[in-house]
Amino acid sequence: MSVLRGRPVLLTGVIVAVVAVVALLATGLSRGHTIEASPLVGKAAPDFHLQGLDGKPESAVRLSDLRGQVVVVNFWASWCAECRVEQPDLDQTWNRFRDAGVVVVGVDFQDTEGDARAYLAEAGSTYPVVVDTDSTAALAFGLRGVPETFVVDQRGEIVERVIGPVEADRLADRITGLLEGGVR
Amino acid sequence: MSGLRPLHASRSAVLVAMAVLAAAVTLAMVGLRGPAPAQSQEQIVHEIAAGLRCPVCADLSAADSPAPLARQMRTQIADKLAQGDSPEEIRRSFIAAYGSSVLMTPPREGLGRLVYAFPFLALVVALGAGGVLLRRTLRRGPTTAAESRPARLTEADRRRVELALDRLRVEEP
Repeated sequence: MSVLRGRPVLLTGVIVAVVAVVALLATGLSRGHTIEASPLVGKAAPDFHLQGLDGKPESAVRLSDLRGQVVVVNFWASWCAECRVEQPDLDQTWNRFRDAGVVVVGVDFQDTEGDARAYLAEAGSTYPVVVDTDSTAALAFGLRGVPETFVVDQRGEIVERVIGPVEADRLADRITGLLEGGVR
Repeated sequence: MSGLRPLHASRSAVLVAMAVLAAAVTLAMVGLRGPAPAQSQEQIVHEIAAGLRCPVCADLSAADSPAPLARQMRTQIADKLAQGDSPEEIRRSFIAAYGSSVLMTPPREGLGRLVYAFPFLALVVALGAGGVLLRRTLRRGPTTAAESRPARLTEADRRRVELALDRLRVEEP
């Protein structure tokens, strides 16, 4: 680069420009492959009013009606392999905390009614399950796939988002903290 | 005639100035060109969806993706438009749920500002460099026709050449 020889200012300028472009490209490329934390964490959970999977009017769930309780909103589908992995952990959480002011709500995402019912019958799950027929709740929660789980505190604020299968122990720690009014 | 610049220097300066001007016009056109205004409701939906990333796809917009969730996004956009929401309000509602990564192009805030500022910075640098080059070219001074002609032989050189030719004629009669 004979043009730059003996011209320290020009050389420094070229180096700075090249580093700036490389840094911009690197930032852009790395952002494209990572999922940022949900912007909803720390904010009010979007309300939904969804029909129960069994179709009975009393099975419908309105999220805002559960204010005052800790709510675990789990988006799932019968075709989702990872949902089967986390199913025992969700059942365990429901059975352990159901009498302590905690509700687990399953939200069936892009599924067929028959498959979803067969899945739940096989799993033996007893917590309320609703159907997000037109994916309105999924879009409101910023869903990127299933399974995804949101922990909503007693004030209706999202305190955690879990992408992928949940673990009962980790969920229990979070719930216990919320019930004790401590860790959020 | 000290105020007049010689022909060669002026031509170079004009070429440099034209190159800088062409670069400036190109960058300005790229920077200022915006999408054609949408006409029908369907076109507005498509335009908004084209600016939003399908959340369950790899680098496909909500307008291009055949995924059910992308289809639902298009339906929701149409519904919100029918309710009177502006395109900006609709975009903001998706950003509220997904963050700015839902946008197909970087937002004009934070680090994203750099991406938009870069063409203009490049334009300023190009204009500066063009100006410096132009000044140097003009400062180089007059280049006369006599200067550009090959140097004349001195009398001594001429004699040396003649001697060498004579020697050649003797060697190769």
